[in-house]
Amino acid sequence: MIELALETRDLKVYYGNNMVIKGVNLKVPKNVVFALMGPSGCGKSTMLRAFNRLLELNSEARVEGEVRILGRNIYAPNVDPIEVRREVGMVFQYPNPFPHLTIYDNVAIGLKLNGLVRSKEELDKRVEWALKKAALWDEVKDRLDDYPSNLSGGQRQRLVIARALAMKPKILLMDEPTANIDPVGTKKIEELLFELKKKYTIILVTHSPAQAARVSDYVAFLYLGELIELGPTRKVFENPEHELTEQYVTGVLG
Amino acid sequence: MSGYNVRKLKEKLFLFLIGALTVLMFSPLFHIIYSVFNNGIHVILSRRITFITGRLSDGGIGPAIIGTFILVFLASLIGLPVAFLVGVYAYEYPESTLGKATKSLLQIMLEFPTILVGVFIMQMLVVPMGTYSALAGALSLAIIMMPYVAVYTHEAMRQIPFEYRDAAFSLGLTRVKAVFRVLVPMAKRGILTGVLIGIAKVAGETAPLLFTVGGSYQTYQIGITKPVGAIPLLIYTLIQSPAKEHHEMAWGASLILLLIFLGIFIPVRLSLREVKV
Ligand SMILES: Nc1ncnc2c1ncn2[C@@H]1O[C@H](COP(=O)(O)OP(=O)(O)O)[C@@H](O)[C@H]1O
Ligand SMILES: [Mg+2]
Repeated sequence: MIELALETRDLKVYYGNNMVIKGVNLKVPKNVVFALMGPSGCGKSTMLRAFNRLLELNSEARVEGEVRILGRNIYAPNVDPIEVRREVGMVFQYPNPFPHLTIYDNVAIGLKLNGLVRSKEELDKRVEWALKKAALWDEVKDRLDDYPSNLSGGQRQRLVIARALAMKPKILLMDEPTANIDPVGTKKIEELLFELKKKYTIILVTHSPAQAARVSDYVAFLYLGELIELGPTRKVFENPEHELTEQYVTGVLG
Repeated sequence: MSGYNVRKLKEKLFLFLIGALTVLMFSPLFHIIYSVFNNGIHVILSRRITFITGRLSDGGIGPAIIGTFILVFLASLIGLPVAFLVGVYAYEYPESTLGKATKSLLQIMLEFPTILVGVFIMQMLVVPMGTYSALAGALSLAIIMMPYVAVYTHEAMRQIPFEYRDAAFSLGLTRVKAVFRVLVPMAKRGILTGVLIGIAKVAGETAPLLFTVGGSYQTYQIGITKPVGAIPLLIYTLIQSPAKEHHEMAWGASLILLLIFLGIFIPVRLSLREVKV
């Protein structure tokens, strides 16, 4: 049996009375890029936010069912959402490094405020390590005290990736990380995914079937809050089981 | 004339009218600044440093200046921390009953007649203590300052795009750390603006001091339980006197007050412009 990074059991999410994730069961193996694709508004972001309990920032949102990360149900009553978020990194659709913090502090802040490092040397090391992992070190090593406003969109997004990696998460969630990035920056981030999956499990939300095909090992197709199809990427693209999936990957469906 | 030309003429007339009304509306402001400078500068130049440091009998307004600084300082000490926390609370719990009530109450407090605050403090503090005091005046001013600072803090926090809130929480920060260590520093310029506007506002207040500070212009008082003076209150007192000499001093005091106000306000405006760039 393959060890699972993440598994959902009958996951349902409501905003008020409106059910937007309608009982999803999926399994994500370890050390893969798992793409979650589907048209805009189908519930991808909502589902991703259920995976680190970030949905709880929205008092309207309600979750039912289970999300298991490395076997543990993060919605069990004794689980602290703060702990969950420390173990699950997140990268957003809009690159959001903190504008008032330097490049260095953007990477360091999670470690500092969570008290995860013991000395300045350890912090320096971890910041460098994370920036290298995010393939940004060479571009910023001489200006760690600069502010992120001087970086390009793609660099900013890699800075956010470094910020998440610095926490040494078990899983990295990425919500359309290249939606607002130019093609060159997009390519760099996509290449980075191949590197990162050696150590991490990446769940990547994308509304672009082409991107899912390029970068993922497994793909799930979500439509109107329901999981339509899931499988190895090649299989889903070359030989989809479901009519809707076929329409989506060939571009017939929005 | 064709209909088109008539329409164009009407439009021009209308624009001119609006322009004229706008100028009319702001003209008192410029007239105030002009006349305060014009009348005040003579007094200050002729008495020089005595005007700033001297007692009333020496022809100076020193105790009033010190009094204003003491009052504003004490009011800030009392009011700023509370107002800041209230503003953050209203931002962080907008849906809670208390949060909603806070927002409405702040709006009411903002518009509240300031003289009533003075009456309230007189009953609560001055009467039981049996004396006017700097403390009573500072408390009145703190009550007037707080809604400004709280509203500005709330507004500054609300300006922070949601993405940053997401980012802070996604790092596994507790609510307290996410809010106070990440989001508040992000909004610090807006919050600081509120603080300075609150200070500028109360530095010029008269009504809440009428029944609270007592007004002391012949001696420098030490101790927050003693009566003190204040520049706006002194102006009010001097203007009521029939003596021309007192009216002149009032102009001088007005100029000092105006300078203090502008000294706080101009940097605020400049820093606001910086934000937009
Ligand atoms: N904060 C919210 N409150 C209420 N409804 C929401 C909220 N966010 C998203 N929705 C609704 O949930 C559905 C899924 O949205 P979302 O997860 O953002 O989709 P996607 O990321 O696939 O574009 C949409 O119908 C959207 O209108
Ligand atoms: Mg989305």
